[in-house]
Amino acid sequence: MNSAISFRHVSKIYDSLAGGDRFALRDVSFDIFPGRRVAVVGRSGSGKSTLLHLAAGIDIPTKGEVWIHGSNLAALSDRDRTLLRRNKIGLVFQFFYLLSHLSVRDNVALPELVAGGKSSDFDPRVHELLDRVGLADRAEDPVQSLSGGEMQRIAICRALLRRPRLLLADEPTGNLDDANSRLVMDLMLKLASEEGSTLIYVTHSRELAALADETWRLHSGVLEVP
Amino acid sequence: MTRYFVRSLGAHLRGGRSLYFLTIFGVALGVASVICIQIINRNALAAFRGGIQAVSGDADFSVLGRTPTFPERLYPEVLAEKGVAAAWPIYRIDVAVTDREAFFLDVVGFDFFAPVRMPWKGQRGDISNALAKHGWVAITPQLAEEMGWAVGDAFEVSSGSRRARLVVGALVDFQRVSPVASRKLAVMDIAQAQSLLGRRGQIHQIDIQAAEGTDLPALISRLQARLGPSVQVLTPEQRENLAAGLLSAFRLNLTALSLISLFVGLFLVYSSTQALLVRRRSEFGLLRSLGATRRQVFGLILGEVILLGGLGVALGLPLGYWAAEANVGVVSATLSNVYLLEEIESLQMPLWLYVLAALIGVGGAVAGALFPALDMSRKDTKSLLAVFTLHERVGSMAFPLFVTGTSILLGTGLWFWLFGWDWRPAGFVLGIALLIALPLFTPFLVQRITGWIRVRGFGLGYSLKSLGVRLQTTSFAVSSLAIAVTMLIGITLMIGSFRRTVEVWVNSSVKADIYVSTPSWRGRQSEATLDDDLVSALAAHPGVTAVDRLRKFFVYSGEQRISLAGVDMGLSGGETRFPLLGGETSEVFRKVRDDGAVLIGETLARKAGLGVGDRLSVFGPGGEVKLPIAGVYSDYSPGGGLAALDIRTMNRHFGPGPIHSLALYLEAGQDTERVVDELKARYAGTPLRIRSNRRLRERIFKIFDQTFAVTRLLQAMSLLIAVCGITLTLLILARERISELAVCRAVGAIRQQLFWIFVGKGVGMGLLGLGLGLVGGIALAGILIFVITRAYFGWTIQVYWPWLPVLQQIFTILAAAVLASLYPALRASQTPATELSRDDM
Repeated sequence: MNSAISFRHVSKIYDSLAGGDRFALRDVSFDIFPGRRVAVVGRSGSGKSTLLHLAAGIDIPTKGEVWIHGSNLAALSDRDRTLLRRNKIGLVFQFFYLLSHLSVRDNVALPELVAGGKSSDFDPRVHELLDRVGLADRAEDPVQSLSGGEMQRIAICRALLRRPRLLLADEPTGNLDDANSRLVMDLMLKLASEEGSTLIYVTHSRELAALADETWRLHSGVLEVP
Repeated sequence: MTRYFVRSLGAHLRGGRSLYFLTIFGVALGVASVICIQIINRNALAAFRGGIQAVSGDADFSVLGRTPTFPERLYPEVLAEKGVAAAWPIYRIDVAVTDREAFFLDVVGFDFFAPVRMPWKGQRGDISNALAKHGWVAITPQLAEEMGWAVGDAFEVSSGSRRARLVVGALVDFQRVSPVASRKLAVMDIAQAQSLLGRRGQIHQIDIQAAEGTDLPALISRLQARLGPSVQVLTPEQRENLAAGLLSAFRLNLTALSLISLFVGLFLVYSSTQALLVRRRSEFGLLRSLGATRRQVFGLILGEVILLGGLGVALGLPLGYWAAEANVGVVSATLSNVYLLEEIESLQMPLWLYVLAALIGVGGAVAGALFPALDMSRKDTKSLLAVFTLHERVGSMAFPLFVTGTSILLGTGLWFWLFGWDWRPAGFVLGIALLIALPLFTPFLVQRITGWIRVRGFGLGYSLKSLGVRLQTTSFAVSSLAIAVTMLIGITLMIGSFRRTVEVWVNSSVKADIYVSTPSWRGRQSEATLDDDLVSALAAHPGVTAVDRLRKFFVYSGEQRISLAGVDMGLSGGETRFPLLGGETSEVFRKVRDDGAVLIGETLARKAGLGVGDRLSVFGPGGEVKLPIAGVYSDYSPGGGLAALDIRTMNRHFGPGPIHSLALYLEAGQDTERVVDELKARYAGTPLRIRSNRRLRERIFKIFDQTFAVTRLLQAMSLLIAVCGITLTLLILARERISELAVCRAVGAIRQQLFWIFVGKGVGMGLLGLGLGLVGGIALAGILIFVITRAYFGWTIQVYWPWLPVLQQIFTILAAAVLASLYPALRASQTPATELSRDDM
């Protein structure tokens, strides 16, 4: 069975202000098979966000290879990596990053707007997703009128719009209270399962990490896979 | 805090190069436009003053005619007046240098026995020959060098249709006495000047030196009473004031336009200061949290702005001088062709202009930065460190600002309608109200228009929609562009309408096939006449069916200098030369032809408050003449205005005299250009300027276009500043909206898409500024055409829509908006999706 995503001896090294190298990730290798749900935990600065950036192709490793559905990201141009991200990856962020000049509907539709899709083609999908997260009646509202939990639900809809094979979430509940955190996380896991997406999410919460199929720990750039 | 200022400055300058550069550039362009116009305005008058200083030297005051010349017999009268220590007559005439196109010498005929210290005494050359040697003339060393002449060389000049041979007798550096004096000044014995170039027994001026201890005003009054109303006794200052009055409308308009450029520049400074402050908001928050006082933060911001303003001034001064130098030729041509004053030959930059530049540059920068700096310094530490909400506040202010703008416009309009309509500067008040109201309308309009847009794709709609988010940033760029476009379109409409009106006027008034004048005829030279025999010969040329003679000179009507034109009012079909504003044409012309009545131009009618049935009072050689006014006609002459009468009436009141130009009507089917060539060949030895109807029209429009050349420069400067505003705004947006860009990158937008989204934002701002500016431009054109031009020049301009220039300008503005977007778009497209991990977003 082909893996959804593979890291092979991946290191990400930054220049240290003191003059030497600073390892954000050190020789990380793993395979995740389609449909699996993986939680990544670790302290601040342990390399969690770097791992997700490399997985999303918005950054490239200093050493090693990242493969997504058979494509080696290092071999792709910036444009091709972007197109791969557009077509196969969905991203959810801690701070939602909804665009205030767009309505709820348009924020969900953003990936299709970027991809040049036709409104008549993607509108039903937008409504379906909004309906599934219970915000169909808010489609034309400005995003500023939403609560934090609602905003993150919109962000999840946006990430799932183009049915990505890989869903990456960087502390998706980091900006929410406990009650909302659980709600949003349950929703994300449910939707990812229904859509058949492989899910990697970063979290500080042991409780939320326990909802995944497996939990990995990052410690000073070194991945500990149980 | 000073140490912190110095230490952090370098880092900030490096970090925000584009923003700092645009701020400095905005100040520099604003300063340059004002300085350019001030240099030109000042030197226009300085050239006139230089002529007075160089010619009149030590004179306390002068006697000048209310007609072009006055009789020499007044000279002994002057000498006889108690308190006059010395007096000397002057004959002053423009002559054309043969074989040099439009090259004139200002010849001053002077009495070398005058008992005064004159600038040209004690120079190289033999002054003693001045009287004895035929055609002896002293010229400037600069002219000698330019023409390759040396003492003893002869050259030919013409005055009217008369030629004269002059000999360089001495080289005199008039510019040593008066630095801005013309290099084309030439001095010769007065008797020789009269006999060779002008009229014996007539003089133009008597310069007078008063005896020590004499009460000057009393002496001037006594002389004025003694010499009568046909002359006026004026001090050099009064003469300069007359010239200033003649140029006042021209100078005022240029100054107003340059101030608009400065106004647009201030928007740029405001926007860039705002951007710098937004960029460093957390820095100020940190400083405040570490104990810096509000005053210290305010001082820090202001210190930086003063430094940037200073750099802008340093750049703007040479830029302004260069712009003045590049445009002095066309302004000089306007001064001599239209206002009949001295040409500007050199530019001087006095100390006060440096002070003015510093005041408007640094002051403008501080004024532009004051509000944002105060706003920033007043914020509490917590809000400085928090995510800012500035734009949301502007969003809530959009409607009140719109209402304020509307109130300003309505209030000013009401004031004008009730009280201001007969106040001369009222048009400028209306213009200022319009320019203040436009920026107040902008936030509301941007908010509304971007609110209406439905995003249907990641294209122009998305770009326009996103402009509404950063309302303050966007509004400033749109406002400054709207003001520049208002100025551009308003003036283009005005000039286009004016040009078309003049075209219609020329079509009806320039009817003859060929026009003959002399090279020294520049409109003011009463001596540039045609010999009677020559006129008869021209009239008898084969193919010529009719001739129209023009005798023209200036006279005074009260204190106003006007031109008086005598023509053959009986010429068949000649009524079209004077398109009447009202009245029965045949009856009006009958009165002018048979009853000695006069037609007055609209300019004169407005300025003097005269109309049909009134009498035009002018001073002739025999005293005051009152001419009944039979009609008012369309006239677009600058200055005091024009009156036309039958040439026989003119000869009766002002004495017979030679004519100044001749219009020839040819038989049907004659080839005009061929006849022109025939006449040129036949009169090759006579100094004549023979032009076909077509060539004369070309010349008229060349002068017309020259007059507005500086206006075009100011329009371009304003547009450039506004376009910089677009670049600046997009750079600000590229930074402020970095998270938006990163999100787009994260969801799959390629760099190219972000690039075009930013170009779209530029186009969006261009379209918004253009739309608002078009409305403003039409309103400004209305103010210029119906209020300002009428009040200051007395012209009635018909409104025409110059489609082609307006479309060209719309295209230019949009193209400029696209160009302005390219660099910020490139910067924005390079935003990586990793920017989302930044803590400071």
